[in-house]
Amino acid sequence: MPLKILSVDDSRTIRLIVGRALRPYDCILCEAANGEEGLAAAAREKPDLILLDVTMPVMDGVTMLTKLKEDPALKAIPVIMLTAESGRDNVIHIARLGVRDYLVKPFKEDQLIEKLGRSLTLKKKDEAPVAAPAA
Amino acid sequence: MSESTNYQELSRRYGFAPKPESASRLTQLVARQDSDLDEITKVIDKDPSLRKRLLRVANPDAENEAEYAVETVEDALMRNGMGCVLVLAMSTPLALALAKSFQTMLSLKLEDIDRFAAEPLAGEPLLGTIGFSGRIEGRVFLRMNRDSARAVAAGILGISIEELTNADEIRDAAGELLNIMTGNFKSNLCDAGLECRLQPPEVRFSSDLEIPAVPGGGLERMAFRAGKIQLFVDVTANPWNQDS
Repeated sequence: MPLKILSVDDSRTIRLIVGRALRPYDCILCEAANGEEGLAAAAREKPDLILLDVTMPVMDGVTMLTKLKEDPALKAIPVIMLTAESGRDNVIHIARLGVRDYLVKPFKEDQLIEKLGRSLTLKKKDEAPVAAPAA
Repeated sequence: MSESTNYQELSRRYGFAPKPESASRLTQLVARQDSDLDEITKVIDKDPSLRKRLLRVANPDAENEAEYAVETVEDALMRNGMGCVLVLAMSTPLALALAKSFQTMLSLKLEDIDRFAAEPLAGEPLLGTIGFSGRIEGRVFLRMNRDSARAVAAGILGISIEELTNADEIRDAAGELLNIMTGNFKSNLCDAGLECRLQPPEVRFSSDLEIPAVPGGGLERMAFRAGKIQLFVDVTANPWNQDS
């Protein structure tokens, strides 16, 4: 069964880059353009992992993460932050809320795949799964 | 465990790239309202690229170094005040983030060029802006001729220029470039205690090339080139907003 990854970012460009990076792999990409849409998509799609931006209109990524972690049905979904913001207070606050990893923009597609591979067993389309390295 | 130690541990765990030391130090000095001008002078004097950029900011109309009326760091600081130091501290991480974006997303090496040597903007170029507010206020402007804007969007999206189907793709890619640039400098400012909020980017094609005046503030005008792509980046800032 393909993995389901939810990309929450107001930039269509970033969602396209994520989609391009994931194209060789057996996964389904779901998209949301802000935290509010992201929460609804998480509840609906039950993704295996969420890629989350910080600065977004309507609801930002930190608010979405807080609400996600308060929801017993959603709190176990691993989250990787994908943002240009790496200020000390923000990073410490986000780490305390509970995230699996953090990738600062700009990023290379192979960096994204490497981070995803630490949390998920990514399988190339029509190939046997590649085991995730031990954490 | 202290917050700074905790942050260092998180930086290692997440694989963050180290932040430019002289820019971080400069931002910390600017953030202190009793900042010591001698100390600021020493930090700038020790970094040849900061020194070069400060003198360029202090001589905005000079087309080359031979025309500089302000020739020393001390003189530049005395004449221009903290506004110009602030834009210098801000635009260092901004320029690094822009260069890194070109390297990672377009596989192109971006060079800092003399803006007077750059090909001027013509017609209705792309104009992207992001405002920021809080302990400091200001705006970042990104401008490119249409051909450059199309090449940047196509490069970021990993498609050929011919495959770009509409202007929204070009605007969105430029908006994301602005987000990345300003997100990086916002982190630097926040780490120094200069909390600020970013506004969403606004991107349009416009012949309006005026940069609004910033009384008492600083303005740095930069130009960059990567192959045939050319970009102009301007940063304006007013030092600390006492009311926020």
